Amino acid sequence: MTPERWAQIEELFHSAAACDSANRDRLMEEFCNGDAGLRQEVETLLSSGQCAGENLLAALTGSLDAITFPLVGQTISHYRILEGLGGGGMGLVYRAEDVRLGRHVALKFLPEESTKDPVALGRFEREARSASALEHLNICPIYEFGEHAGQPFIVMPLLEGETLRETLCSSSERKSPLELTRLLDLALQITDGLDAAHRQGIIHRDIKPANIFISSHGQAKILDFGLAKLSRSETEDSVPERDGPLPEVGGTTREGAPAETLDPRLSRIGVAIGTAGYMSPEQARGEKLDSRTDLFSFGLVLYEMATGHSAFQANTGPTLQHAILYETPTSIRQINPSLPRRLEAIVQKALEKDRSARYQSAAHLYADLQSVKRQVQSRALMRRWIPAAVLFVLALGIAAYWLVNLRTSTARILPQINFRQLTFNSPDNPVTSGALSPNGRYVAYVDKRGIHVKDVETGMAQVAAQPLELNKGDVKWEIVSAGWFPDNQRFLVNAHPAREIPEVWSSQTTSIWIFSRIGQSPRKLRDHAVAFSVSPDASLIAFGAKAGQLGEHELWLVQPDGHQAHRLFYSDGASAIDAFQWSPNGQSVLYAQVDSAGTSFLTRDINGGPPTTVLTPYETKQIRGDLSGRQFGTSCNWLPDGRLIYQAADPHSESTASQDTCNFRTLRLDARTGKPIEKSKRLTNWTGFCFSNANATADGQRLGFLRSSSPHGTAYVADLENGETSVRNARHFTLEEWDEYIGDWTPDSRTAIIGVTRSASYGLYKQSLQSDTPEPIVADVTGGALSESILSPDAKWILALIWPVSADGSTANPTFTQTMMRIPVSGGPPQPVFRVVRAGPYSCARAPSKLCVLPEQTADHKQLVVTAFDPMQGRGRELIRFDLARDIDLNVENLLCVLSPDGTRLALARSDEGPIEIWSLRGPSRLTTLARGVQKIWNMGWAADGKGLFVGQHVQDGTELLHIDLHGKIIRLWKSLGPRCFGVPSPDGKHLAIYDWQRSANMWTMENF
Amino acid sequence: MDTSASHDVTRLLADWANGDEGALDKLTPVVYRELRRLAASYLRRERQGHTLQPTALVHEAYIRLVNQKNPTWQNRSHFFGVAARMMRQILVDHARRRHAGKRAGASVSLEAARFQLESTGKLIALDAGLTALENIDARKSRAIELRYFGGLSMEEVAQALNVSVVTVRRDLRMAEAWLQREMRDEQVPRDA
Repeated sequence: MTPERWAQIEELFHSAAACDSANRDRLMEEFCNGDAGLRQEVETLLSSGQCAGENLLAALTGSLDAITFPLVGQTISHYRILEGLGGGGMGLVYRAEDVRLGRHVALKFLPEESTKDPVALGRFEREARSASALEHLNICPIYEFGEHAGQPFIVMPLLEGETLRETLCSSSERKSPLELTRLLDLALQITDGLDAAHRQGIIHRDIKPANIFISSHGQAKILDFGLAKLSRSETEDSVPERDGPLPEVGGTTREGAPAETLDPRLSRIGVAIGTAGYMSPEQARGEKLDSRTDLFSFGLVLYEMATGHSAFQANTGPTLQHAILYETPTSIRQINPSLPRRLEAIVQKALEKDRSARYQSAAHLYADLQSVKRQVQSRALMRRWIPAAVLFVLALGIAAYWLVNLRTSTARILPQINFRQLTFNSPDNPVTSGALSPNGRYVAYVDKRGIHVKDVETGMAQVAAQPLELNKGDVKWEIVSAGWFPDNQRFLVNAHPAREIPEVWSSQTTSIWIFSRIGQSPRKLRDHAVAFSVSPDASLIAFGAKAGQLGEHELWLVQPDGHQAHRLFYSDGASAIDAFQWSPNGQSVLYAQVDSAGTSFLTRDINGGPPTTVLTPYETKQIRGDLSGRQFGTSCNWLPDGRLIYQAADPHSESTASQDTCNFRTLRLDARTGKPIEKSKRLTNWTGFCFSNANATADGQRLGFLRSSSPHGTAYVADLENGETSVRNARHFTLEEWDEYIGDWTPDSRTAIIGVTRSASYGLYKQSLQSDTPEPIVADVTGGALSESILSPDAKWILALIWPVSADGSTANPTFTQTMMRIPVSGGPPQPVFRVVRAGPYSCARAPSKLCVLPEQTADHKQLVVTAFDPMQGRGRELIRFDLARDIDLNVENLLCVLSPDGTRLALARSDEGPIEIWSLRGPSRLTTLARGVQKIWNMGWAADGKGLFVGQHVQDGTELLHIDLHGKIIRLWKSLGPRCFGVPSPDGKHLAIYDWQRSANMWTMENF
Repeated sequence: MDTSASHDVTRLLADWANGDEGALDKLTPVVYRELRRLAASYLRRERQGHTLQPTALVHEAYIRLVNQKNPTWQNRSHFFGVAARMMRQILVDHARRRHAGKRAGASVSLEAARFQLESTGKLIALDAGLTALENIDARKSRAIELRYFGGLSMEEVAQALNVSVVTVRRDLRMAEAWLQREMRDEQVPRDA
């Protein structure tokens, strides 16, 4: 080809490419002027010009893959290798099809250099097996071990997503910090996984961003448990020297440092390089490792997530090692001042060089991270709460999801799951049931005030009229979650007797009502029946009847007009049917079967045939225990796209009884057979609440659900008036979703001392009345729960008893010795003062008195001995001794004996049934006897003026807080639905700190799930 | 890293930029060795991307070989010019070896062989196309090499070739179309 010809071709190519097809023809005609060869040449070029660039790139990438991944196309064992996924972790990773099970998996080959030692290999296999046997959500499991041509490989689930390293590097060459909620969410998951492994005695040893996988659903999974040990020998391990040449990368580090200057153990095995940046000091020194090494490494990961920078910027081996051993990294808040202080403290603690100063367990780290999360969430809530009528979207825990095509590394953002709160009831008036209309426009819900229908778009709500034949207060209403008719106008409601608690609701005492959104009066459909759902074509209503011990035995269908009722099927006496609903196409049905083994979910064809179990009792056992069968059933929903959506509690929350944590999971069912066709997936990532009443809109785009937080103690502060006999203006003092109580006040009455119980961690804080942030006095107390937390008379110390905590998270009955601790108000660790046995609540007077008293029961249970004590001197003299008439064990029951603020009198309740005696310590002599009619005193304290007592009394449905003056006059101040209400007055008598329980519940929706 | 190698490369690049053609002869083996070494280690250890990316390799080689204290854009574009050519060479050599190996009846399954042939075949076809294009329009062939094997941006290609970005864009568009057609035509007889 001549250059002239080429130039001609090129000119015409560009001109023609620039015009539209109509003009192109004319242009070609004119330009070529009869030169058919020229025209054909340019036309073929134009046609191949489409996507030419992409095709060239594909050719290049494809051939590189063939080079990089030599096994593509081969079949190894029963795995057909489909493509190379990467060289992540420690060896080559392939996508493969398990031809036996028909599922796609990831095959990971271990690097050659690590597999020459059979001892190490065996140990790796053992350890990886035990790690994968943990079956923890945040640990990537291993399906199988195999070997191909002498190369061991592991088979893992095929995860969709990317490693944390890629997430951190996603935006550019530079690393970028993660958004705070996402950071906390991921950090909690990773810590949870580490905790599970550490509890089994398994250490990872190579925690780094590249070993943490973030699935496209935002779930973190720790990869390669057990692998790290393969390539490292520790001092205690007698691993034989490996022979053969060093891997090439070991010779020179990436940073360009000669490897010999590093610890010889590290340089030999070649892991030092990429990973050296995440080594713990003990690892750098080649010492014996324990689980705390992982916490240091994770601290470095956390640092990077928070700042986008490595904690140790040194880029050569020896300097890096020096930094790890001796340097303190720049504080994360210096790099990013918007980060919470608590997070800064967490990172610092995780990065302590001395492992005894570090976090001692992943559980502690977890608890602290959660406290940051609570803080962040409650602040976000506070900010958004203010424009009250504005509905808001809250992205909880789940920030942006990234789906990465692993082959091309091009990132695509998946839509975020959006959460929206529909009702805004306070904890005093929680929503008890609700349902979203099929078009998603209306939410029907029940609270103390009755049945409401709210227009989600306008925010307008109206209270549905009560049926004329019923008196207000006769019934408790329950909206049937699958009970909206397709016309978006009518919905089913169960009416239960007002006197019955939800746990005992049954069809025997229940009636079904049809309510109308558009003002028609409610109509009763049936008595002695409990409604489950409306069929998709609105022709039938399913209800349960014939109540037995476990629930309803019979499943009936009836037309909405009440005609043609017939029994569809029934169960034997040993099981019950619940939560019946139709499949989206109306061809099959889903229902719960409750029997002695637990609750299963079954599907079956509407025309008969045997049922298929889709969720076994084992799977449903993970659901929070206090959800009754009916509530639990309503958390399961069959979506139009064929997925079943249901909730499961996290394994973690089972061990810590105080925290309820459920998450939505989905399970895809075959639309025809109702059989599960893939493994269940976790959709959400929440802690601290559970759901019920889940129902999807007709298009399956939105899911409405009732979200209830776990019940927890919370502190209110109220103003005290009329000589401490009335409370006004009670407000939440703390916002965290932890159990928090106010133990005492500083002498100036301005600052409260707060005891906080997190899932497994206890701490003391102080918070000024003017502030909304508590300051730590001591966080992370180990060894047990702190009780009382009162101030010493000189206000320098907080006196607290440490209660041992049993494994299930509950405070054990202290049949063994407890320790009185003093904690400096200015901050610092608790110091033991003396030991106590069978002690009751102790108390201190206020200055100028210096007296504190401790009531203890004698070993024979017959007497109560009251001893003076001092935070510095410890036990003092015996003050007084009381006989106990009844055989009472202070370890189990309450014997209350509290000192008046002036230090001159004792208020004594020898039994929890009263009465209350007032004794003078001068003499000593009994002054008076009060409160002969109280029911169950569980707590008692003096009013600030010394003229009365604040008494917590158990009543049938909760606790009452009473003021009892010294003449015996009783005034009710507060009613709590929880079991542990008490009040602590400020020294000036102007405020009362009230401990109460709260559990909020509101309707929410989510989209894009 | 051996700092003398770094000085060497930097100096050689400068010499070459000043018209010393002999410098290129000395430079080539150093760059080639480094790229080979990096490519080999890519196959073994984890790297930034999931797949072997020649562009990343070239960048890494540059960082390793050229003194970063005083980098000049001339050094950079010259280096990338050399490295892109080397990269192409390494990859094609590798593909040829595999291609030959598989044909010699190594013990792999039929489908594995087919996959290897297909993908390595494409690279060999691309290489042949580039060589053919070089004879017609050397600058366009070079632009493709820099962009695809060297991973240079449009601006960097323009600097390396001493033309405008608009020209580079036109060159690439034309060359891509041409190569695409050539490869399509080439591959059929080759694999048939």
